[in-house]
Amino acid sequence: MENKSTEILNELKAISPLLAAMEKVNVFIVPDEYFSDLDERILTTVFIHQDEKNNLQKVPEGYFDSLPDKILSKIKVEKNESATEEIKALSPALFYLKEENTFAVPENYFDDLSDRILNKINGKEREVVSISSVKKWWKYAAAAVITGVIAISSLQIFNHTSNSNKKEIIAASASIPDYIKESSQYKTPEKLNQGIASLSDDEIVNYLETTGSILDEETITKNLDAKDLPNADDYLIDENTLNNFLKKTDAESNKNIQ
Amino acid sequence: MTEIQNDQELLALFKEPTTKEQAFTSIIKKYQEKLYWHIRRIVISHDDTDDVLQNMFIKVWKGLENFREDSQLYTWLYRIATNESLTFLTQQKKRNSISINDDENGLSNKLKSDTHFDANKLEWKLQLAIQSLPEKQRLVFNLRYYDEMPYEQMSHVLETSEGALKASYHHAAKKIENYILNN
Repeated sequence: MENKSTEILNELKAISPLLAAMEKVNVFIVPDEYFSDLDERILTTVFIHQDEKNNLQKVPEGYFDSLPDKILSKIKVEKNESATEEIKALSPALFYLKEENTFAVPENYFDDLSDRILNKINGKEREVVSISSVKKWWKYAAAAVITGVIAISSLQIFNHTSNSNKKEIIAASASIPDYIKESSQYKTPEKLNQGIASLSDDEIVNYLETTGSILDEETITKNLDAKDLPNADDYLIDENTLNNFLKKTDAESNKNIQ
Repeated sequence: MTEIQNDQELLALFKEPTTKEQAFTSIIKKYQEKLYWHIRRIVISHDDTDDVLQNMFIKVWKGLENFREDSQLYTWLYRIATNESLTFLTQQKKRNSISINDDENGLSNKLKSDTHFDANKLEWKLQLAIQSLPEKQRLVFNLRYYDEMPYEQMSHVLETSEGALKASYHHAAKKIENYILNN
């Protein structure tokens, strides 16, 4: 360090004789030869920086005039290429940027996303009126099948009665389930209809759950008349389509039962 | 260092495309050491100083074309170096989430982590005393005490009136004296 200029030294003496008397020692150490090539390193940094900037800013002459044509012809030729290949061909910069995920996602966000979506959907659908209509529709489908089962069981019992004595009936009835024993009281179609109408939703649901094997989807669809069902596309366009259809079939089923 | 070319000549050469790079090289050679030490006293570590110095010259290259002849190249370079150094410290503070009040401690710790640091030596005590000053006083003290910069030039570098700079230097020197006497 060079000596302080007289003016500055005198100024410091006036403020702090202690500081003015202190020898100036440079405590900081610089790596050997640091200054010998510093100018070259700075120049390199500056020009590298400048080159990077130029590369980004400079565009070949006439580039933008022919760009739309180039892109369009490329799209026409390579229509079938994947989105990744396409963006790579159109703009390598954008392709590599794709790798960078700019937006942060909370941890484990995706782990329970499907569950949360499903919960949301289920929660909402409970509020939609049409579900109750669907339940009714199932009730009648189920009722139709039960009718069939009970009718067949009744027929067997009727046949049995006509061919055997009372003792045998009692012996047989001891081994057959209650619901089939009960079915013997439904001797006419009117009585049978009344019996089914008197069943509660719970009884039917319970029945379907315990004997689900014989009431599989196939059986139900086979017994369903699909020709009056609305077109599948209509559901998507108008959500009232299904509701209207269910109202209609509701009304018809009620008529039939009465 | 040959000082055959004064700043005005260098600036004129810089404006000519054929001599632009040559003029820039001369400017770097002329000022690199002074600017290095100015930055080093603000950011303390050598590596940080090297980064700041390179960054400031990138800005110089960009800004020199629009440099107004009426101001001095010397003070303009010091202003860029000061601003770059302070910006660097601010960014570092944000990165390390050191609160503003801890600023001096951060720089003091840098000093203490120097392999040659010796708390008993007066020159290191002086450095610790300087780091205990508020930022503006620290800058003024360094520029006056080490760079021996006239207040008139310093007023251009720090964009502060000469009177305010004199007062800052006075306060800084007194505080440093107290620090050295009491530590």
